[in-house]
Amino acid sequence: MRRLPVYLLLDTSGSMRGEPIAAVNVGLQALVASLRQDPSALETVHVCIMTFDMDVKTVVPLTPLDQLHLPQITTPESGPTFLGKALETLCGQLDRELRRSSADEKGDWAPLLFVMTDGSPTDLQVFEEQVVEIKRRPFGNIIGCAAGPKAKQEYLLQLTDRVFSLDTMDSASFTSFFKWVSAAVSSGSRSQGTEGASALPPPPAEILLVI
Amino acid sequence: MSLRNPPKVIRLTAHDGSTVEFLDEVKGSGGLKDCYFSPDRSYVVLFFRDPVDANGRDRLTNIVGRFRDGIFQQAGGDYWKNVYCWPERTLEWNGRFGITAPVYAKHFFFEHGSKNGDTLGIRGREKEGKWFASANNRNKFLDPKELGSWANYLRVCLLISRAVRRMHMAGLAHSDLSYKNVLVDPKGGNACIIDVDGLVVPGKFPPDVVGTPDFIAPEVVASAKLDKRDPNRKLPSIVTDCHALAVLIYMYLLYRHPLRGGKVHDADPTRDEELGMGERALFVEDPADPSNRIKVGQVRPSELPWADTQQRPYTLTGPYLAPLFLRAFGEGLKNPAQRPGASDWENALIRTVDLLQPCVNTSCEQGWYVFDNSSKPRCPFCGTPFKGVLPVLNLYYSTHKPGQFRPENHRLMVYTNQSLFSWHVSRNIAPNEKLTQDQRQRAGYFVFHQDRWYLVNERMPELFNATDNLPVPLGEKVELREDMKLLLSRAEGGRLLHVQLVDSR
Repeated sequence: MRRLPVYLLLDTSGSMRGEPIAAVNVGLQALVASLRQDPSALETVHVCIMTFDMDVKTVVPLTPLDQLHLPQITTPESGPTFLGKALETLCGQLDRELRRSSADEKGDWAPLLFVMTDGSPTDLQVFEEQVVEIKRRPFGNIIGCAAGPKAKQEYLLQLTDRVFSLDTMDSASFTSFFKWVSAAVSSGSRSQGTEGASALPPPPAEILLVI
Repeated sequence: MSLRNPPKVIRLTAHDGSTVEFLDEVKGSGGLKDCYFSPDRSYVVLFFRDPVDANGRDRLTNIVGRFRDGIFQQAGGDYWKNVYCWPERTLEWNGRFGITAPVYAKHFFFEHGSKNGDTLGIRGREKEGKWFASANNRNKFLDPKELGSWANYLRVCLLISRAVRRMHMAGLAHSDLSYKNVLVDPKGGNACIIDVDGLVVPGKFPPDVVGTPDFIAPEVVASAKLDKRDPNRKLPSIVTDCHALAVLIYMYLLYRHPLRGGKVHDADPTRDEELGMGERALFVEDPADPSNRIKVGQVRPSELPWADTQQRPYTLTGPYLAPLFLRAFGEGLKNPAQRPGASDWENALIRTVDLLQPCVNTSCEQGWYVFDNSSKPRCPFCGTPFKGVLPVLNLYYSTHKPGQFRPENHRLMVYTNQSLFSWHVSRNIAPNEKLTQDQRQRAGYFVFHQDRWYLVNERMPELFNATDNLPVPLGEKVELREDMKLLLSRAEGGRLLHVQLVDSR
């Protein structure tokens, strides 16, 4: 059985303190709950959650959906946003855990990556090196989420042309984002159009698509 | 928490002039539509998110009008109300085009849901077929009270085949049959085809979708990259529905996918999928080419024993279904015209129901199995052998020559409370939507009493024991003996039963 690895990289820098991080926690709970109600996702989806601030932590290693226990995600008082280092950690981890196809065994589906940040990378040089590394990895889809007014889309746009922007950092915005993530993860088992466009669902009304 | 205002009731006039009411609150969103409930929850209103072009409107107008009437306004039309969730009216609201549709029957929502007090939180949600068609989901997640017996899955497949057959008879293709668009209730043996709004009419209304992964016909997958106007591009049609139907039936009876085996076609998973579901599609149980067998060592323990095709081969579905699977996933993969049609499946399923035998092991998970025509029958699921004397009735039909009866490759297994129906009594009656109320009544039943098997005559005035030359009047019983011949009706097409007793005491 092929696994569908889903990586979530979440910004936990100081500016996420308060309502934003609370909303992220609620959103993650809702995301996992809704994926668990999807019989196709339960068959294949494995989730890994990494956070980045001044440290990069794998808060949930790649785990099958039904065995996933979400920890409470917290933020430090203040500090930098090491998105570059987070991508570096992700690449290392992916290289170790992604099962590739061999001549007689099927490997994993192309993994999905969601990156959410409310600012811009502090470790800009590492970030730029790692963007190159990420592009060498066999991701099926990379989706960026620029949360709040201070989020810089231009960095996320280096990673992917699919960047969603949340105008506000309240729980309604995050809820709609995580709902959308859930739909995107499930889309592989939905009806497919005749136009052959990639199967991402339409974004919810509250989110602006920046391309 | 703040109390929210209840949603406003919107009142509109549908295109047929009737009044439509719904609550202004999106209760669900599918791929193309948003769903609203009527205040009394007797129907739903679905609005397309994107504008619907003139051709699309014309299609929907036909679906709620001409096509619907053609199926529902005929004799036996009411039968279909349980089998389709067919759109009823079209309307427009704030520039958005919409349809109304009946709500799903209560038995299509989980009553118990998942194990351990519904840890997944699916109680009250729709019974999407994928829950039941996957051995892993069945083993790990679903509450056993939701699973239903194997006999019920045959009934589910029969209802789906019948519903698809009726559409095809009208020249309509569903175009997106999948376990998402067919609700099933294995506990009660019910099925319902939903999302009927994408119906395809050859030459008039082309498809909007290519289908849902797992169910898209190989020729559609293989040509998916060609332009829509390219003559070699294959799009959904009646023959691709037949592929999807075969996959559905295989999955509901064997809880695995017929084409998802161990063969690696390409190192890139996306390309591998395209090849394995498209131009190189190969049956996991292909008798001549074993290269796509499921590798038991590579599947999760929760997928066993169903993933083990040695232990649970497709042939356990019996002598009527097995050849159809072989055709659908053999020749039919390459040559769509060779695929069994929906009525082939319907007929085979009806005959297979007559071959069912309850498992003597009361804790058998499947409960029923197909008699394997052997003298030592045993349940292929739990391995329990049958103990006792098992009557097998071979059906013959009368020709126009008096006294001449022909065999028809149709057997009826006897068990306590097994029933004889009008379609057993006469070859001219088929068990389908056209049965009259009278024809649905039981004609007789079987009972095991003091070590003997009896047929009790309820509604067969001409029942005649041709071995002993004795009539069997209504209300009387006749003992079943080896090699006995029982005439059920003297009319043309009337059936003669030839009794065989399998002794496994």
